[in-house]
Parts: sequence; C-alpha cells; structure tokens
Amino acid sequence: MATRFRSGLLSAVLILVALAAAAAWYLGAQPARDEAVAGGDGPRTLVTTLRSEPATFNRYTGAGRAYPTVLITGLTHAGLVRINRLTDRVEPWLAESWEVSGDALQYDLHLREGIRFSDGEPFTAADVAFSFAAIYDPRTASPFADVLRIGGEPLQVEAHGDRHVTIRFPAPYGPGLRLLDGLPIYPRHLLAASLEAGTLGEAWGPATPPGEIAGLGPFRLARHEPGQRLIFERNPHYWRTGGGGDPYPRLDRLIVELVPDQNAELLRLQAGQIDLMQSELRPEDYRPLKDEADRGRLKMVDIGTSLDTHLLWFNLTGAACEAGRPWLHHPAFRRAISHAVDRRAFAETVYLGAAEPAWTLVSAANTTWHADVPEPALDRDLARRLLAGLRLTDPDGDGLLQDAAGAPVRFTVLVQKGITAAEKGASFLREQLAQVGIGVDIAALELAAMMSRWGKAEYDAIYHWMMWTDTDPAGNLDLWLSSGSAHLWNPGQPDPSTEWEEQVDALMRRQVASTDFLERHALFARVQEIVAAESPALVFAAPHVYVATSPRVTGFTPVVSRPQILWNPDVVTVE
Amino acid sequence: MLRFIARRALAALALAFVLATGGLVLARAAGGDYVSQSLGLGARPETIERLRAARGLDRPFAEQYAGWLRGAVRLDFGTSLLYQRPVRDLVAGRTANSALLAFGALLVACLAGLPLGLLSGSRPRTFAAQAVRALSALCISVPPLIASLLLVWAAGVTGLFPIGGMTSLALDDGRMASRLLDVLWHLPVPVLALAIPLAATLERIQSQAIAGALADPAITAARARGVSARRALWAHAFRLSAKAPIAVGGVLAGAVLSGSFAVELVTSWPGLGRLTYEALVARDVPLVAGCATAGALLVSLGLVVSDVLLAVADPRILERAAPEDAAAGAAP
Repeated sequence: MATRFRSGLLSAVLILVALAAAAAWYLGAQPARDEAVAGGDGPRTLVTTLRSEPATFNRYTGAGRAYPTVLITGLTHAGLVRINRLTDRVEPWLAESWEVSGDALQYDLHLREGIRFSDGEPFTAADVAFSFAAIYDPRTASPFADVLRIGGEPLQVEAHGDRHVTIRFPAPYGPGLRLLDGLPIYPRHLLAASLEAGTLGEAWGPATPPGEIAGLGPFRLARHEPGQRLIFERNPHYWRTGGGGDPYPRLDRLIVELVPDQNAELLRLQAGQIDLMQSELRPEDYRPLKDEADRGRLKMVDIGTSLDTHLLWFNLTGAACEAGRPWLHHPAFRRAISHAVDRRAFAETVYLGAAEPAWTLVSAANTTWHADVPEPALDRDLARRLLAGLRLTDPDGDGLLQDAAGAPVRFTVLVQKGITAAEKGASFLREQLAQVGIGVDIAALELAAMMSRWGKAEYDAIYHWMMWTDTDPAGNLDLWLSSGSAHLWNPGQPDPSTEWEEQVDALMRRQVASTDFLERHALFARVQEIVAAESPALVFAAPHVYVATSPRVTGFTPVVSRPQILWNPDVVTVE
Repeated sequence: MLRFIARRALAALALAFVLATGGLVLARAAGGDYVSQSLGLGARPETIERLRAARGLDRPFAEQYAGWLRGAVRLDFGTSLLYQRPVRDLVAGRTANSALLAFGALLVACLAGLPLGLLSGSRPRTFAAQAVRALSALCISVPPLIASLLLVWAAGVTGLFPIGGMTSLALDDGRMASRLLDVLWHLPVPVLALAIPLAATLERIQSQAIAGALADPAITAARARGVSARRALWAHAFRLSAKAPIAVGGVLAGAVLSGSFAVELVTSWPGLGRLTYEALVARDVPLVAGCATAGALLVSLGLVVSDVLLAVADPRILERAAPEDAAAGAAP
C-alpha cells in the first residue's frame, strides 16, 4: 500500500514537473518584442491581410514568386522603372531618366541622387549591377534569369560611377525597359557576401531579423510574428515625396495579418478589425457586403473587368493526339464547344451576374492590346453540324453523341479543387455541352496534382485561372510561342507542330523586336485573329473585380490587377 | 508504474516513426512536387531542374529517405523546402501552440462534460437530464470547422472576444504576465470550437458510466448501510465510473488534433495543423514528415497520460499489463 502510494506520488510529481517545464519553455519561446515599434494605436495605421505566410523575403528566388512575397516586395523595395497600372505606361522610378541608342539596343539610365536604403546606406549604380549579377548567377536559380533574357541571351548591365547604368539588350526589344517592372534592386552591402558564397538563394528567409533587410521602398519590415502578422513602418529614408513636398508614404504603419481562411477574413472586415482584404471579393460575398456598404459601414468599389480569366484548354501535345479520340484535338470540336455555351448565362450563373461574356484570351479590359475578333454566337444547331462534320452522331437517339467507332463522345476536365469559380464554371460547361450530346467528367484536383498532370500531359482538358504577367504581349512570350514553357495546350515544342502556330511564332518574334508601337499592335492583332480562329483555348466570361475596404481608407485609386489597392502604397492613407 | 510509463513512451516513439515515414511516403506519392508547385505553370524545365538540384530533390527517394533517417536519429528532421529553416525549429513552436489549444479544449471539455454527465446519468428522468442529452446530441454533430465559423461570427458580431490570431496587435508590453493574459484572451474561440463536440462526447460517456456504476451491487450495499445518496454518488459511484471517460481520453487527444486543422485555419491560430496544411499544399515533404512526427507525439502523449490515469484509477490494469510491475508495486 505504501509502495503504491509512493509510486503514484512520484508519477504525479513527474507529470507536474513536466507541465511546469513545458509552460516555462512555451512562455520563453515567444519571440522578443521589437522595442522600436510604436504601439498599435498610431494615427495612420492600415491593417490588411495575407492568406499565407511569406516563405521568403527574397523576390529573386523561386519561392519569391508567391503572392505574399510579391506584395511585401512592393511595400519594401523599388525598381529602376515602374509600370503605372492606371496608364499602363513605364515611368521613371529609381532611374529618373534614360536615353536610348539609335539601334534601340542600349539604354543609359541616370539614377536619382541622394537615395538611401532603409538602413541609411547610400544607393548607387553598383547596387544595380549587383542585383543583375545576383539574378543571373546560376547558384541563385532565380526565375528572373529566364524573364530577363532576349532570344535566350542575358542583358549586359554595367555601372559607371554612382549614378549611371548602361543596359545593353542582346537584340531589339519592343517593350524596352518595361521588362524591368517588378524587379527590385537589392542592397549590395547586405547581400554581396551571400552572392559570393553562392547562398543568395537562401538569403532573407522568413526567420531573418528585420534589421538585416533593407530596401528602397516606402516601408520597411519592423516586426515579424511568425504565423500571425508582419508589421511595416514607414521608411525614414524613402526618396519619394508627394506634391508640395508632402512626405511619402502617407501611412505611418502598415500591418499585414495572416488569415488563412477567406470567410474569416471577410468577418474581420465586417467587424472592423481589418481595413483591406488581400484579394477581390467572390461573387457570393457581393450581396452581404453591398448591404454593409449601403449602410456606410464599408466601401465597395467596382474596379471593372478583370484582365485575368479562366481558360478551358485541351491537351494538344503529340502524344495526346496520337492516343485516340482524334475529334478531341480537332479545332472544329473546340469551335463547336464555343458555339454551344451560352456565355451570358455563364456570367449569370457562375459569377452571379458580376462578369461580362468573353471570347478572347486577351481580355477587353486590356484596352491597349485587345483586338476585335469574331465572337462565336450561341448556336447549338451550328455546334451539332460541326460535330457531325467530325462524324460524331447520336445513332440511338439518347442525346449522347458517339464517334465513328461507337465510343461515347466524352472527356475529362481537370479543375483546381476549392476554387468556387472553377468548379462552378466546369459544372456549367458540363450542363451546356450535354445539350449538344457531349459528355464531360470533372476531376477536382489539388493545384500541385493538377500541375503535375499538366506537366506530364496526362489530361484531356483543363479549366484554370490564367494570370497575365503583363498587359504587353511581349511579357507573355512563353504563352504565345510554341516553344514556350507556358504554351498551355502544347508547351515546349522544338518546332511548331501546326501551321498556325508557326505563323503565330513568326508574328510574335516580329512583334517583340519592333520598336514601332503601331506595327506591334497590328502584328499582335493578327495573332489574336489566328488564335481565335483555331481556338486552342476557350474563354467564356471575364469577371468584374470588386474590392471592399473600411470607410477610413482613402487616397487610393484601385486597379484590376493585384494588389488592387496597394499597387501604389505611397498614397494610401486612413482618416 | 515507471516501467509501465517507459513502455508506453517507447511505443509512442515507434508510432511517431511510423507516422513520419508514412507522411514522407504519402507526400512524395501525391502528384506534383515542391519545385513545380513554387515555380508555377509554365516554368522552364531548366529552371525546374536547377532548383530541384539545389534542394537535393533530384536524388532517388531511397537516398533522400536514408539521409532523413540519419538526421532523425540525431533529432535533425531536415530543412523545410518552403521556409528554408530547420524543420525542428518550425515544428517546435507550432506544436507548443497546438498543445496549448489541445490542453485548453480538453480541460474545458472535462469541466463541462463530466459534471453534466453525472447529472444526466444519475437523474435520467428529470427535465434537466433530458435537456442535457438533447444538447449533447446537437453538439456532437457539429464538426469543429462549423463550430469555429459560428464562433468567429459570434465574436465578430458581439465584440466579446478576438476573432482570430493568438496575440493582440496593440500589445507591446514585453512582460510575460501581459503576454500570457493576452494569449489566454485569444483562447476562448478556438478552444470552444474544439471543446464543444468533446464535451458532448464526454457527457455521453460519463452519463452511461455513472448509470452503470449506480447499479453496481457495491453502491446498493453502501446505501443499505446508510451511506447518503450524495456521498454514494460522489465518493463511490464517481470513482467507479471514472475509467470510462479516462479510457477514451487518449482517443479524444487524436480527435482534438484532427479537429485543430480546421479550427487553426479559421481562427488564424499559428499551430501545428495550419503548418501541416501549408506543408501539404506546398509539397514540403520534410516539413510534412516533421509535422506528422509532432502530431504523433502529441497523440501519444495523450494516450500515455490516459493510460497512467487509468492505472491510477484502477491499479489492476498494471497487473494485467505486466505482473512484475504489480509485484514491484506490492513489495514492502
């Protein structure tokens, strides 16, 4: 009895000691507070959200392509030039002016004087040369290295003195310095050692102390609470000022809360705990927020039609075309689908009316480059005739087509799981195509699995969101060129497999090399005509972009591409 | 008793190893990998291969697994592909946050469920007992995801508690007491989301157990000897009924962990569930394995504690488990 009591008592003591140690470790494991950060009740503090934590603060790396890093880079860093999202024009940024050589191959950039990084160190041309060297270093494995090439060759960047940089293009490039938009210039004094050691790809990870990150943007990182939030404070050395010398940015602090769930994000906005959501509103969010906006508790802005949209494309790779079901890869089949789908009903059903019918890969919102091409009208009789021309008939009258071998006319569409617009869109297409006898099966996959199937060309069709990296078609060569890695329906072709792709390749190469805007416009209009006729990818609707903010957010001019409001963080403020 | 705990601890480590290996294999077997996922659609093959080589993903899986195993023995679970930080560091902090949530949920569930179970089991025909049973049936059928959404909405509408997160934005006071209070202030919503179905489960189990205990001949004999009904319930029947809820405690620990995935996402609680989700989406195989290990250890801890409490409540369990333990316990 006594032994049992001592054994039980010892066990209880051990458990209590373990709990106390765990509590002490837990409390001691919390990150230290940065005493330099002011309290949360500053007069001009804006709170926004991100859905996921940044995997890195280093935009040069593969992980830096993710939206959290892109957003943070826009707040804390700056590039030589910037595309004004309102005018879609290149404007001077760190480079205040430049001259172009007669052959349009060399740009002489003059950097602004007196600019300092957020840690006070001076910015010079050497930082520009360093940034390009870092990108092109194979040990960095930077995706920018692929972007900053013309005809497969890198740009030649040289620093001359503190304020003069020459950039030499290996071949004529129509968009010119537009290529440099979104490329942040990094501090040589902080990252040179990493580059020399070949570890720049691992620099500025999420555990980096804020004091070791410096940039030329309007804000600097003050505090990072992993899993919870990032706090940015105004960059005291920011070079930009407003009209009349008003200091920029107009905000004192910008806080990014990490909120993984979009429903919770919406609740926080409605409760007044955040000022901005990360992303545009979903169609189903419109009505409840509209009521709040009508009561003055929120602001809602209809920015316009999105530049991006969902595309339906088919697997047109050689292996797929040889695998049977030749009708699946025939352009007449795609044209039949285009005629069979009621795009107005698509916009009403999938986007609850918050969309416009669309026909072309280049959205009408891209007013600079969108071309008027024939828009296939809703005509199911024509669709059936086109299908009959492919010997797809309904011999038993059950409403389902069969091919010449008697096999059902049926294909599978992959969509990204969890994306409402994608899943609803695919379901709507299934219902519409059933009316002309085409069977559609929908497979909702996680993004990584879907991309894997796409990469291995193991799919029939994919319905997926297409985000354009630039309104200028030269910024999306990987999509338009048959050799491009993003040529969705048949990527990476060593030689164009079709006559129309050969034509498009030639037109795009001429378009990229021309420095005459009118010529470029005409060439790209022709590309859009050819692509519309061949229909390798189909578009059905372009959604409207709505954003909601708290009533106190002012000074912003929203744009349709992300980040809709923080694309110009200098001027955003709160009342 | 110590040998009993040691055996359970060894079993827990074996379970953690199996789950970690399973996590590695399954994450690898799922379509896609970290590199193609991070570079996105249209990445050039040479860029993909370069990054794969930089991350060591171009090696055969057997070689990668052997390297991971060698590190795991030294408690080095590799580097996260997504965050480029040691998996051990990432997982440790998040595990602690999830453990706090789990402990809070189990505590609330016990404090609510056990007394209500005593009430409904000892006086089954009363209106209160019927109301408790109906409420339990409702609460059991509410999954943690729905409960957390409802509670987040209620918190937003009433302003009584923070909607999400673990700490306040405005808190700059570095004192530990302030931080502790702030964290406790953020606990109610996620803890209740997890605790509600648990409390209902415990209520049902306790109710059945106390009803059975009250029917035990020992209780009848005690009442016949003049022991009051209240003393018979609390001093005798409750002890007899304790085994049932304790026995499921370990299983409930697993339920808490699986429920925490959804709750942490909705309430932005920086815990292990959220980290696991991020790792799975990103195909961060080392991090998935690390999270699986941590999750297994948490569940195992729950099972060990449950077994120990069971052995304290009923020492005969030790005899059945290992006669030598019982002999050691009985020796003067």
